[in-house]
Amino acid sequence: MIWTRGVASAAAEQSFVPASKTSTVKEPTDEPAAKMKKFHIYRWNPDAPTEKPRMQTYSIDLNKTGPMVLDALIRIKNEIDPTLTFRRSCREGICGSCAMNIDGINTLACLCRIPTKTTQEMRIYPLPHTYVVKDLVPDLTLFYKQYKSIQPYLQRDTPAPDGREYRQSKAERRKLDGLYECILCACCSTSCPSYWWNTELYLGPAILLQSYRWLADSRDERKQQRKDALNNSMSVFRCHTILNCSRTCPKGLNPALAIAEIKKSLAFA
Amino acid sequence: MASIIRPSLLAQLRAAPLSRRVFSTRSLPTIGSCSNPSRRPAIRSHGEPASLAARSSILPHSVGFHATPARPILPPLPQRIQGTTNEAQPIVEHSATEGGYHWAFERIIAVTLVPLTVAPFAAGSMHPVIDAALCATIIIHSHIGFDAMITDYLPKKRVPKTRKLFEWGLRAGTLVVAVGLYEFETNDVGLTEAISRIWHA
Repeated sequence: MIWTRGVASAAAEQSFVPASKTSTVKEPTDEPAAKMKKFHIYRWNPDAPTEKPRMQTYSIDLNKTGPMVLDALIRIKNEIDPTLTFRRSCREGICGSCAMNIDGINTLACLCRIPTKTTQEMRIYPLPHTYVVKDLVPDLTLFYKQYKSIQPYLQRDTPAPDGREYRQSKAERRKLDGLYECILCACCSTSCPSYWWNTELYLGPAILLQSYRWLADSRDERKQQRKDALNNSMSVFRCHTILNCSRTCPKGLNPALAIAEIKKSLAFA
Repeated sequence: MASIIRPSLLAQLRAAPLSRRVFSTRSLPTIGSCSNPSRRPAIRSHGEPASLAARSSILPHSVGFHATPARPILPPLPQRIQGTTNEAQPIVEHSATEGGYHWAFERIIAVTLVPLTVAPFAAGSMHPVIDAALCATIIIHSHIGFDAMITDYLPKKRVPKTRKLFEWGLRAGTLVVAVGLYEFETNDVGLTEAISRIWHA
Protein backbone atom coordinates (compact mmCIF):
# COMPACT_ATOMS: atom_id res chain seq x y z
CA MET A 1 0.00 0.00 0.00
CA ILE A 2 2.79 2.36 0.99
CA TRP A 3 4.63 1.46 -2.20
CA THR A 4 1.71 2.28 -4.45
CA ARG A 5 1.08 5.53 -2.64
CA GLY A 6 4.71 6.46 -3.28
CA VAL A 7 4.23 6.06 -7.03
CA ALA A 8 1.11 8.20 -6.99
CA SER A 9 2.91 10.98 -5.17
CA ALA A 10 5.77 10.82 -7.66
CA ALA A 11 3.26 11.26 -10.51
CA ALA A 12 1.73 14.21 -8.70
CA GLU A 13 5.18 15.76 -8.30
CA GLN A 14 5.82 15.34 -12.00
CA SER A 15 2.73 17.36 -12.94
CA PHE A 16 4.28 20.40 -11.26
CA VAL A 17 7.16 20.61 -13.79
CA PRO A 18 6.94 24.17 -15.24
CA ALA A 19 5.78 24.44 -18.89
CA SER A 20 9.06 25.99 -19.93
CA LYS A 21 10.88 22.76 -19.09
CA THR A 22 8.65 20.44 -21.12
CA SER A 23 9.24 19.57 -24.77
CA THR A 24 6.54 20.66 -27.22
CA VAL A 25 5.22 18.64 -30.12
CA LYS A 26 3.88 20.93 -32.88
CA GLU A 27 1.22 20.03 -35.37
CA PRO A 28 3.09 19.13 -38.61
CA THR A 29 2.99 22.04 -41.09
CA ASP A 30 4.29 22.13 -44.65
CA GLU A 31 4.17 25.91 -44.93
CA PRO A 32 7.60 26.97 -46.17
CA ALA A 33 9.31 30.23 -45.36
CA ALA A 34 7.85 33.30 -47.10
CA LYS A 35 9.32 34.03 -50.53
CA MET A 36 8.87 37.76 -50.80
CA LYS A 37 9.33 39.24 -54.25
CA LYS A 38 9.13 42.87 -55.26
CA PHE A 39 6.97 44.11 -58.11
CA HIS A 40 7.49 47.64 -59.41
CA ILE A 41 4.35 48.71 -61.20
CA TYR A 42 3.65 51.83 -63.27
CA ARG A 43 0.91 53.94 -61.76
CA TRP A 44 -0.95 56.89 -63.18
CA ASN A 45 -4.31 58.13 -62.04
CA PRO A 46 -6.46 60.16 -64.47
CA ASP A 47 -8.31 61.67 -61.51
CA ALA A 48 -5.08 63.47 -60.57
CA PRO A 49 -3.84 64.42 -64.05
CA THR A 50 -1.28 66.93 -62.79
CA GLU A 51 0.62 64.26 -60.90
CA LYS A 52 3.36 62.59 -62.83
CA PRO A 53 3.27 58.85 -63.45
CA ARG A 54 5.23 56.98 -60.80
CA MET A 55 6.48 53.51 -59.99
CA GLN A 56 4.83 51.69 -57.10
CA THR A 57 6.53 48.82 -55.32
CA TYR A 58 4.57 45.88 -53.98
CA SER A 59 6.16 43.03 -52.06
CA ILE A 60 4.22 39.77 -52.12
CA ASP A 61 4.78 36.20 -50.95
CA LEU A 62 5.24 33.93 -53.97
CA ASN A 63 4.10 30.90 -51.93
CA LYS A 64 0.65 32.40 -51.65
CA THR A 65 0.54 33.54 -55.28
CA GLY A 66 -0.13 31.66 -58.50
CA PRO A 67 2.71 31.08 -60.97
CA MET A 68 1.86 33.81 -63.50
CA VAL A 69 2.28 37.56 -63.38
CA LEU A 70 -1.48 38.00 -63.75
CA ASP A 71 -1.96 35.96 -60.56
CA ALA A 72 0.37 38.34 -58.77
CA LEU A 73 -1.49 41.39 -60.13
CA ILE A 74 -4.87 39.97 -59.14
CA ARG A 75 -3.54 39.17 -55.67
CA ILE A 76 -2.17 42.69 -55.28
CA LYS A 77 -5.52 44.12 -56.34
CA ASN A 78 -7.51 41.80 -54.07
CA GLU A 79 -5.38 41.94 -50.96
CA ILE A 80 -3.02 44.92 -51.00
CA ASP A 81 -4.16 47.80 -53.19
CA PRO A 82 -7.62 47.79 -54.80
CA THR A 83 -6.82 50.95 -56.77
CA LEU A 84 -4.39 49.09 -59.06
CA THR A 85 -6.01 48.98 -62.50
CA PHE A 86 -5.40 46.54 -65.34
CA ARG A 87 -7.39 44.68 -67.99
CA ARG A 88 -7.82 40.94 -67.74
CA SER A 89 -10.42 38.45 -68.74
CA CYS A 90 -9.68 34.86 -69.74
CA ARG A 91 -6.43 34.29 -67.77
CA GLU A 92 -5.32 31.71 -70.37
CA GLY A 93 -3.91 33.73 -73.26
CA ILE A 94 -6.89 33.79 -75.61
CA CYS A 95 -8.51 37.18 -74.99
CA GLY A 96 -5.44 39.41 -75.22
CA SER A 97 -6.67 41.82 -72.55
CA CYS A 98 -3.72 41.61 -70.16
CA ALA A 99 -1.05 42.69 -72.67
CA MET A 100 1.58 44.76 -70.86
CA ASN A 101 5.30 45.39 -70.73
CA ILE A 102 6.79 42.96 -68.22
CA ASP A 103 10.52 43.25 -67.53
CA GLY A 104 11.00 45.09 -70.80
CA ILE A 105 9.10 42.67 -73.02
CA ASN A 106 5.55 43.11 -74.29
CA THR A 107 3.65 40.02 -73.36
CA LEU A 108 0.44 38.73 -71.83
CA ALA A 109 0.57 38.77 -68.04
CA CYS A 110 -1.40 35.53 -67.96
CA LEU A 111 1.20 33.68 -70.07
CA CYS A 112 4.24 35.15 -68.32
CA ARG A 113 5.67 33.14 -65.44
CA ILE A 114 7.04 34.95 -62.41
CA PRO A 115 10.76 34.15 -62.15
CA THR A 116 11.15 32.33 -58.83
CA LYS A 117 14.38 34.17 -58.01
CA THR A 118 13.27 36.57 -55.30
CA THR A 119 16.33 38.80 -55.61
CA GLN A 120 15.20 39.69 -59.12
CA GLU A 121 12.60 42.48 -58.97
CA MET A 122 9.90 42.68 -61.61
CA ARG A 123 9.00 45.84 -63.47
CA ILE A 124 5.59 46.14 -65.08
CA TYR A 125 4.60 48.97 -67.42
CA PRO A 126 1.66 49.48 -69.78
CA LEU A 127 2.28 48.79 -73.47
CA PRO A 128 4.95 51.25 -74.61
CA HIS A 129 4.07 54.36 -76.63
CA THR A 130 0.38 54.09 -75.97
CA TYR A 131 -1.83 56.70 -74.38
CA VAL A 132 -2.53 55.46 -70.88
CA VAL A 133 -6.11 55.42 -69.60
CA LYS A 134 -5.09 54.42 -66.09
CA ASP A 135 -2.17 52.47 -64.56
CA LEU A 136 -1.67 49.47 -66.88
CA VAL A 137 -4.63 50.17 -69.17
CA PRO A 138 -3.63 51.55 -72.58
CA ASP A 139 -5.97 53.32 -75.01
CA LEU A 140 -6.29 51.07 -78.07
CA THR A 141 -8.86 53.18 -79.95
CA LEU A 142 -6.53 53.92 -82.85
CA PHE A 143 -5.44 50.29 -83.01
CA TYR A 144 -9.05 49.16 -83.44
CA LYS A 145 -9.80 51.94 -85.94
CA GLN A 146 -6.86 50.75 -88.01
CA TYR A 147 -8.13 47.19 -87.74
CA LYS A 148 -11.48 48.35 -89.06
CA SER A 149 -9.81 50.14 -91.99
CA ILE A 150 -8.49 46.86 -93.46
CA GLN A 151 -12.04 45.44 -93.64
CA PRO A 152 -11.33 42.27 -91.65
CA TYR A 153 -14.18 40.16 -93.00
CA LEU A 154 -14.85 37.88 -95.95
CA GLN A 155 -15.83 39.81 -99.08
CA ARG A 156 -17.03 38.05 -102.21
CA ASP A 157 -19.68 38.48 -104.90
CA THR A 158 -20.06 35.01 -106.40
CA PRO A 159 -22.26 32.66 -104.43
CA ALA A 160 -20.98 29.25 -103.37
CA PRO A 161 -21.24 26.65 -106.18
CA ASP A 162 -23.28 24.26 -104.07
CA GLY A 163 -25.26 27.11 -102.56
CA ARG A 164 -24.29 26.07 -99.06
CA GLU A 165 -20.78 27.08 -98.01
CA TYR A 166 -17.51 28.43 -99.41
CA ARG A 167 -15.24 25.42 -99.58
CA GLN A 168 -11.47 25.36 -99.26
CA SER A 169 -8.95 22.65 -100.01
CA LYS A 170 -6.72 21.47 -97.20
CA ALA A 171 -3.76 23.28 -98.78
CA GLU A 172 -5.74 26.53 -98.99
CA ARG A 173 -6.77 26.21 -95.38
CA ARG A 174 -3.20 25.53 -94.34
CA LYS A 175 -2.22 28.99 -95.61
CA LEU A 176 -4.25 30.51 -92.79
CA ASP A 177 -2.36 28.65 -90.07
CA GLY A 178 -0.20 31.06 -88.14
CA LEU A 179 -2.51 33.93 -89.15
CA TYR A 180 -5.91 33.14 -87.69
CA GLU A 181 -4.47 32.55 -84.19
CA CYS A 182 -3.76 36.26 -83.69
CA ILE A 183 -5.74 37.62 -80.76
CA LEU A 184 -5.03 41.33 -81.44
CA CYS A 185 -3.38 41.95 -78.09
CA ALA A 186 -1.28 44.74 -79.65
CA CYS A 187 1.97 43.42 -78.12
CA CYS A 188 3.71 43.37 -81.53
CA SER A 189 2.46 46.73 -82.80
CA THR A 190 3.48 48.55 -79.63
CA SER A 191 6.93 46.93 -79.69
CA CYS A 192 7.64 48.21 -83.22
CA PRO A 193 9.78 51.40 -83.31
CA SER A 194 8.40 52.24 -86.74
CA TYR A 195 4.89 52.09 -85.30
CA TRP A 196 6.02 54.38 -82.47
CA TRP A 197 7.20 56.97 -84.99
CA ASN A 198 4.23 56.84 -87.37
CA THR A 199 1.38 55.43 -85.31
CA GLU A 200 -1.39 57.15 -87.27
CA LEU A 201 -0.23 56.21 -90.78
CA TYR A 202 1.69 52.94 -90.46
CA LEU A 203 -0.69 50.07 -89.78
CA GLY A 204 1.70 48.09 -87.57
CA PRO A 205 2.47 44.37 -87.47
CA ALA A 206 -0.76 43.14 -85.86
CA ILE A 207 -3.03 44.85 -88.38
CA LEU A 208 -0.80 43.83 -91.30
CA LEU A 209 -0.87 40.21 -90.13
CA GLN A 210 -4.66 40.43 -90.19
CA SER A 211 -4.48 42.12 -93.57
CA TYR A 212 -2.46 39.21 -94.91
CA ARG A 213 -4.88 36.77 -93.31
CA TRP A 214 -7.55 38.09 -95.76
CA LEU A 215 -5.13 38.36 -98.68
CA ALA A 216 -4.16 34.70 -98.17
CA ASP A 217 -7.76 33.51 -97.85
CA SER A 218 -8.78 31.62 -100.99
CA ARG A 219 -12.46 32.48 -100.44
CA ASP A 220 -11.96 36.27 -100.48
CA GLU A 221 -12.55 38.02 -103.81
CA ARG A 222 -11.47 41.58 -103.02
CA LYS A 223 -7.74 40.95 -103.06
CA GLN A 224 -7.00 43.72 -105.56
CA GLN A 225 -8.93 46.35 -103.57
CA ARG A 226 -7.20 45.21 -100.41
CA LYS A 227 -3.79 45.50 -102.06
CA ASP A 228 -4.59 48.92 -103.54
CA ALA A 229 -5.48 50.21 -100.09
CA LEU A 230 -2.08 49.10 -98.78
CA ASN A 231 0.01 50.21 -101.76
CA ASN A 232 1.36 53.51 -100.45
CA SER A 233 4.49 54.65 -98.68
CA MET A 234 3.04 54.54 -95.18
CA SER A 235 0.65 51.61 -94.61
CA VAL A 236 3.06 48.72 -95.21
CA PHE A 237 6.41 50.07 -96.34
CA ARG A 238 7.26 51.75 -93.05
CA CYS A 239 8.20 48.22 -91.93
CA HIS A 240 11.99 48.08 -91.82
CA THR A 241 12.19 44.42 -90.78
CA ILE A 242 13.18 45.29 -87.23
CA LEU A 243 11.52 41.99 -86.20
CA ASN A 244 10.55 43.09 -82.69
CA CYS A 245 7.06 41.90 -83.58
CA SER A 246 8.04 38.29 -84.14
CA ARG A 247 10.25 38.25 -81.07
CA THR A 248 7.62 39.59 -78.71
CA CYS A 249 4.48 37.79 -79.94
CA PRO A 250 3.07 35.92 -76.91
CA LYS A 251 1.28 33.52 -79.24
CA GLY A 252 4.46 32.63 -81.13
CA LEU A 253 3.25 34.01 -84.46
CA ASN A 254 5.40 35.68 -87.11
CA PRO A 255 3.92 39.03 -88.20
CA ALA A 256 7.18 39.99 -89.93
CA LEU A 257 6.78 37.07 -92.35
CA ALA A 258 3.23 38.15 -93.16
CA ILE A 259 4.44 41.71 -93.84
CA ALA A 260 7.20 40.37 -96.08
CA GLU A 261 4.58 38.41 -98.05
CA ILE A 262 2.46 41.54 -98.44
CA LYS A 263 5.50 43.52 -99.65
CA LYS A 264 6.35 40.83 -102.18
CA SER A 265 2.80 40.66 -103.49
CA LEU A 266 2.70 44.46 -103.84
CA ALA A 267 6.10 44.81 -105.48
CA PHE A 268 6.39 41.81 -107.79
CA ALA A 269 2.83 41.04 -108.83
CA MET B 1 12.54 60.30 -81.10
CA ALA B 2 14.60 60.65 -77.99
CA SER B 3 11.96 58.83 -76.02
CA ILE B 4 12.99 55.57 -77.64
CA ILE B 5 16.27 55.71 -75.78
CA ARG B 6 16.01 53.32 -72.89
CA PRO B 7 15.06 55.06 -69.64
CA SER B 8 17.75 53.14 -67.82
CA LEU B 9 20.40 54.56 -70.14
CA LEU B 10 19.16 58.06 -69.52
CA ALA B 11 19.19 57.36 -65.84
CA GLN B 12 22.78 56.20 -66.04
CA LEU B 13 23.73 59.38 -67.86
CA ARG B 14 22.09 61.47 -65.20
CA ALA B 15 23.18 59.49 -62.17
CA ALA B 16 26.46 61.29 -61.62
CA PRO B 17 25.49 64.99 -61.76
CA LEU B 18 22.29 64.39 -59.86
CA SER B 19 23.82 62.68 -56.88
CA ARG B 20 23.64 65.83 -54.80
CA ARG B 21 19.95 66.25 -55.51
CA VAL B 22 19.32 62.65 -54.63
CA PHE B 23 20.83 63.05 -51.21
CA SER B 24 18.71 66.12 -50.59
CA THR B 25 15.49 64.28 -51.43
CA ARG B 26 16.37 61.45 -49.09
CA SER B 27 16.19 63.80 -46.14
CA LEU B 28 12.62 64.79 -47.04
CA PRO B 29 9.86 63.41 -44.81
CA THR B 30 8.63 60.57 -46.98
CA ILE B 31 6.24 58.09 -45.42
CA GLY B 32 7.62 54.78 -46.58
CA SER B 33 11.28 54.60 -47.30
CA CYS B 34 12.31 53.00 -50.55
CA SER B 35 13.65 49.59 -49.66
CA ASN B 36 16.59 49.92 -52.01
CA PRO B 37 18.20 53.33 -51.55
CA SER B 38 20.95 52.55 -54.05
CA ARG B 39 18.32 52.42 -56.79
CA ARG B 40 17.04 55.88 -56.02
CA PRO B 41 19.23 57.87 -58.34
CA ALA B 42 17.99 55.81 -61.24
CA ILE B 43 14.31 56.32 -60.66
CA ARG B 44 14.29 59.63 -58.91
CA SER B 45 16.02 61.60 -61.58
CA HIS B 46 13.23 64.09 -62.08
CA GLY B 47 11.44 64.10 -58.75
CA GLU B 48 9.84 67.33 -57.63
CA PRO B 49 10.89 68.67 -54.24
CA ALA B 50 7.68 67.49 -52.56
CA SER B 51 7.75 63.76 -53.00
CA LEU B 52 4.80 61.95 -54.50
CA ALA B 53 5.00 59.37 -51.75
CA ALA B 54 4.37 62.04 -49.16
CA ARG B 55 1.26 63.24 -50.97
CA SER B 56 -0.27 59.82 -51.39
CA SER B 57 -2.14 58.32 -48.48
CA ILE B 58 -2.62 54.72 -49.57
CA LEU B 59 0.52 54.27 -51.63
CA PRO B 60 3.46 54.46 -49.28
CA HIS B 61 6.11 52.77 -51.43
CA SER B 62 6.15 55.13 -54.35
CA VAL B 63 8.91 57.00 -56.06
CA GLY B 64 8.93 59.65 -58.73
CA PHE B 65 9.15 58.26 -62.21
CA HIS B 66 10.16 59.84 -65.48
CA ALA B 67 11.10 57.92 -68.57
CA THR B 68 11.70 60.77 -70.99
CA PRO B 69 14.32 63.50 -70.94
CA ALA B 70 13.47 67.03 -69.83
CA ARG B 71 13.24 68.39 -73.35
CA PRO B 72 12.30 65.65 -75.80
CA ILE B 73 12.76 66.53 -79.45
CA LEU B 74 9.20 65.70 -80.46
CA PRO B 75 7.15 65.33 -77.26
CA PRO B 76 3.92 63.39 -77.74
CA LEU B 77 0.86 65.55 -78.28
CA PRO B 78 -2.46 64.83 -76.62
CA GLN B 79 -4.23 61.99 -78.37
CA ARG B 80 -6.54 63.10 -81.18
CA ILE B 81 -8.87 60.56 -82.71
CA GLN B 82 -10.17 61.34 -86.20
CA GLY B 83 -13.93 60.88 -86.40
CA THR B 84 -15.79 58.67 -83.97
CA THR B 85 -14.31 55.60 -82.35
CA ASN B 86 -16.43 53.36 -84.57
CA GLU B 87 -15.21 54.82 -87.85
CA ALA B 88 -12.31 53.19 -89.66
CA GLN B 89 -8.99 55.00 -89.86
CA PRO B 90 -8.82 56.74 -93.29
CA ILE B 91 -6.74 55.01 -95.96
CA VAL B 92 -3.50 56.76 -96.94
CA GLU B 93 -3.68 58.22 -100.46
CA HIS B 94 -1.65 56.45 -103.10
CA SER B 95 1.02 58.02 -105.26
CA ALA B 96 2.43 56.37 -108.40
CA THR B 97 6.01 56.77 -107.23
CA GLU B 98 5.36 55.22 -103.83
CA GLY B 99 4.50 51.80 -102.50
CA GLY B 100 5.37 48.59 -104.29
CA TYR B 101 7.19 50.13 -107.24
CA HIS B 102 9.37 52.26 -105.00
CA TRP B 103 10.18 49.28 -102.79
CA ALA B 104 11.10 47.03 -105.75
CA PHE B 105 13.26 49.80 -107.25
CA GLU B 106 15.00 50.24 -103.89
CA ARG B 107 15.79 46.50 -103.72
CA ILE B 108 17.02 46.34 -107.31
CA ILE B 109 19.35 49.31 -106.74
CA ALA B 110 20.69 47.75 -103.54
CA VAL B 111 21.30 44.40 -105.22
CA THR B 112 22.96 46.08 -108.26
CA LEU B 113 25.48 47.73 -105.93
CA VAL B 114 27.01 44.37 -105.01
CA PRO B 115 28.36 43.32 -108.46
CA LEU B 116 29.23 46.94 -109.29
CA THR B 117 31.38 47.18 -106.17
CA VAL B 118 33.08 43.85 -106.73
CA ALA B 119 33.49 44.01 -110.54
CA PRO B 120 36.37 46.52 -110.92
CA PHE B 121 38.47 44.77 -108.26
CA ALA B 122 37.67 41.29 -109.54
CA ALA B 123 38.39 42.23 -113.16
CA GLY B 124 41.45 44.25 -112.22
CA SER B 125 40.63 47.07 -114.62
CA MET B 126 38.99 50.41 -113.85
CA HIS B 127 36.61 50.88 -116.75
CA PRO B 128 35.07 54.38 -116.66
CA VAL B 129 31.61 53.09 -117.62
CA ILE B 130 31.47 50.72 -114.62
CA ASP B 131 32.79 53.55 -112.46
CA ALA B 132 30.05 55.89 -113.70
CA ALA B 133 27.38 53.23 -113.12
CA LEU B 134 28.68 52.66 -109.58
CA CYS B 135 28.59 56.39 -108.81
CA ALA B 136 25.04 56.75 -110.17
CA THR B 137 23.81 53.75 -108.18
CA ILE B 138 25.43 54.97 -104.97
CA ILE B 139 23.78 58.37 -105.36
CA ILE B 140 20.32 56.88 -105.92
CA HIS B 141 20.81 54.36 -103.11
CA SER B 142 21.87 56.96 -100.56
CA HIS B 143 19.13 59.36 -101.66
CA ILE B 144 16.49 56.67 -101.09
CA GLY B 145 18.07 55.78 -97.75
CA PHE B 146 18.07 59.34 -96.43
CA ASP B 147 14.58 59.89 -97.79
CA ALA B 148 13.35 56.88 -95.78
CA MET B 149 14.82 58.46 -92.65
CA ILE B 150 13.02 61.74 -93.31
CA THR B 151 9.74 59.88 -93.85
CA ASP B 152 10.26 57.96 -90.62
CA TYR B 153 11.37 60.71 -88.29
CA LEU B 154 9.68 63.85 -89.63
CA PRO B 155 5.95 63.22 -89.86
CA LYS B 156 4.28 65.41 -92.48
CA LYS B 157 1.40 66.19 -90.15
CA ARG B 158 3.50 67.10 -87.14
CA VAL B 159 6.38 69.10 -88.65
CA PRO B 160 5.32 70.06 -92.21
CA LYS B 161 7.84 72.89 -92.63
CA THR B 162 10.81 70.95 -91.26
CA ARG B 163 9.82 68.04 -93.45
CA LYS B 164 9.81 70.26 -96.57
CA LEU B 165 13.13 71.80 -95.54
CA PHE B 166 14.79 68.42 -95.09
CA GLU B 167 13.32 67.06 -98.33
CA TRP B 168 14.71 69.96 -100.33
CA GLY B 169 17.94 69.84 -98.35
CA LEU B 170 18.32 66.19 -99.32
CA ARG B 171 17.62 66.98 -102.98
CA ALA B 172 20.20 69.77 -102.91
CA GLY B 173 22.69 67.50 -101.17
CA THR B 174 22.17 64.71 -103.70
CA LEU B 175 22.63 67.19 -106.54
CA VAL B 176 25.87 68.55 -105.04
CA VAL B 177 27.21 65.01 -104.57
CA ALA B 178 26.22 64.10 -108.14
CA VAL B 179 27.98 67.15 -109.59
CA GLY B 180 31.01 66.53 -107.38
CA LEU B 181 31.28 62.87 -108.43
CA TYR B 182 30.84 63.88 -112.08
CA GLU B 183 33.73 66.34 -111.76
CA PHE B 184 35.80 63.72 -109.96
CA GLU B 185 35.10 61.16 -112.67
CA THR B 186 35.81 63.46 -115.62
CA ASN B 187 38.69 65.60 -114.33
CA ASP B 188 40.36 63.27 -111.83
CA VAL B 189 41.16 59.57 -111.40
CA GLY B 190 37.63 58.37 -110.62
CA LEU B 191 36.04 56.77 -107.58
CA THR B 192 37.33 53.18 -107.84
CA GLU B 193 40.86 54.28 -108.66
CA ALA B 194 40.84 56.72 -105.74
CA ILE B 195 39.70 54.02 -103.28
CA SER B 196 42.31 51.66 -104.73
CA ARG B 197 45.07 54.24 -104.24
CA ILE B 198 44.00 55.01 -100.66
CA TRP B 199 43.92 51.26 -99.99
CA HIS B 200 47.43 50.75 -101.28
CA ALA B 201 48.82 53.96 -99.79
